[in-house]
Amino acid sequence: MRLLVIEDDPLLRHSLTEGLREEQYAVDAAADGPEGLAKASEAGYDAIILDGMLPGFDGWELLLRLRREKRTPVLMLTARDAVPDRIRGLDAGADDYLTKPFDFEELLARLRALIRRSSGGGSSTVEIGEIAIDTATKLVRQDEQVVALTPREYRLVEYLALKRGCVVSRTELYEHLFDENEDTLSNLLDVHVSNVRKKLGAAFISTRRGHGYCIE
Amino acid sequence: MRKLFQSVRWTMLLWYALILLGLIAGLGLLAYRLAADDRTSQIDRDIRGFQGAFFRSLFASRPLPKKDDPPSMDEIRERLRNPGDVSSFPPELHALFANGGGGSYLAFWDNDDTPLFISANAPDDIKPPQQAPDGPTRYVERGNYREHHRRSSNGMSSIIGRDISAEQGELLRFGVWIALGGGALWLVGLSGGWWLAGRALKPIDDIGRTASRIAAGNLDERIEIANTDNELGRLGQVLNNTFDRLSDAIERQKRFTADASHELRTPVTIILSETQRALKREREPEQYREILGSCRTAAERMRALVESLLVLAKQDLPSPDGARVSCDLAEIAAGVADLLQPLADEHATKIERELAPAPVQGDPHSLAMVVQNLISNALVHPPEGGTVRIRTASGATEAVLEVSDSGPGISAEHLPHLFDRFYRADSSRGQVNGHAGLGLAIARSVVESHGGSIEVRSSGVGSVFQVTLPSNSA
Repeated sequence: MRLLVIEDDPLLRHSLTEGLREEQYAVDAAADGPEGLAKASEAGYDAIILDGMLPGFDGWELLLRLRREKRTPVLMLTARDAVPDRIRGLDAGADDYLTKPFDFEELLARLRALIRRSSGGGSSTVEIGEIAIDTATKLVRQDEQVVALTPREYRLVEYLALKRGCVVSRTELYEHLFDENEDTLSNLLDVHVSNVRKKLGAAFISTRRGHGYCIE
Repeated sequence: MRKLFQSVRWTMLLWYALILLGLIAGLGLLAYRLAADDRTSQIDRDIRGFQGAFFRSLFASRPLPKKDDPPSMDEIRERLRNPGDVSSFPPELHALFANGGGGSYLAFWDNDDTPLFISANAPDDIKPPQQAPDGPTRYVERGNYREHHRRSSNGMSSIIGRDISAEQGELLRFGVWIALGGGALWLVGLSGGWWLAGRALKPIDDIGRTASRIAAGNLDERIEIANTDNELGRLGQVLNNTFDRLSDAIERQKRFTADASHELRTPVTIILSETQRALKREREPEQYREILGSCRTAAERMRALVESLLVLAKQDLPSPDGARVSCDLAEIAAGVADLLQPLADEHATKIERELAPAPVQGDPHSLAMVVQNLISNALVHPPEGGTVRIRTASGATEAVLEVSDSGPGISAEHLPHLFDRFYRADSSRGQVNGHAGLGLAIARSVVESHGGSIEVRSSGVGSVFQVTLPSNSA
């Protein structure tokens, strides 16, 4: 899962990015309105964390412009605990909001819920045969036994599981599994896929030649 | 009941009732008096006419020998002793000879008070008249009778009287009518007064009700003013202006509190988010150090903000003049410039000084804070490599401090708000460099509490902040 954090305060931006990276997300960051909008419209993010007050143009403006082209789930952070601000955000197209100061765990839970909703899932656990993927604890179990996966392998499994039944192209996988700073060698994805197959069974991820990967 | 009489409406009505009662009673008495006087003079005319008629008929039936001469006293005495027969008098005088006949009566006495003629219908207790104190004749009212008493110089005396009980009764009825009419008029007047007082007080009632609604918290409501020129309109205007100022002040206070809490939210969020992240798993000491560093930076920001808020709160209080001492703006500016030299070096900015003595009366610590805010703004905001000029000067009545920079200036839309609390020209709310947007607000607050003014000029190239304080050169 790849996230975009748009927040102008350098300390908070750093804290959020690091915290989310430690939660197995690929995270990009932007410091102002124009940069945030550029990144948000360019890459395919699974969710965007958007601060209301930004230099350039503010979060509400950014949201209005973004909604003309993309439907990426957006969680707004508002510093003012004022109802009009929240209404304005939700009306502009925000999917959820949090008021500063917020609890980091709550931010994580809301992000999970956002991503789940946007991919049509209902619960935090996805079950595929005897394999269960818990998106809250980031653990994958096979026959009730926890399977040790690296963060990137987990991201790959989670992303494909949430898009279960669909063929996901390599480009899309690159976009959603790696942040902008990661050195993405072209065969890195194949390495991760083969590692996952070793751990969860060769049939878990099927390859559609010329199209991409898929979890049936 | 006590409350009732404290009400303006009732008090007004009470006074109105008293005044109206006095007026109506006065008018009624005057009318009664005039009517009574008119009646009395009518009666007196009647009495005189009756006397004339009696004497004419006394001499008409048996004329005197010398017809054209007035009769002598003796002839009159003679005639009065023997007035003759009833039939020789006209019918309207016949009552004189009937006992208990009522109407007008006559009585004449000789100078030795022997009766000459006393008509039969005269009251039984009739006596010769006393000498009147002023002149020979007077009118006397005795019970139901009004009499004309005469005692002439030749000694003869007479009483011509009349029963006036009918007139007295009529006058009494007239008096009762006046009293009833007056009372009715008073009541009508009272109800009119009650209505009028209510009408006059209704706008005040409305104003009171609106004012209490506003006091209860509905600060957007205002008193409706129908007519701005009358007293109530002016009162409403004054109250509305007061409410405007009040709600402005509350609004400012609310915004200030909201802004202050807003500015505190970001550092609190950072501390929360960093500590929660840190505690989630075991880490390397280096990572802990980094996280603690972020927390410290956030806490320092909060400290700076809290200190700024405290300074502002202090400046808002009326300060005793005791803290004011004589000081020189030039010295203060030089000290602050020295202090900020490292910051200037960091931004590759030159500080030019043009400091002439500018003595003022004030708190050197607060004034230094003003200068520091102005200079550090001039150092931090414009691009690096410019020049900051500090100038102090003293005029006859005022001391001036100017801080100007060589940056691109401030766009006109921001100029009116620069000194507002928490206002930042770049619309971002992030506390980059730890600026909470309070520096200029503090500067203005300090300068104004010193009785001075602060203003900014900016026209494309550079901005000039000018502080003007009352001079202490005298």
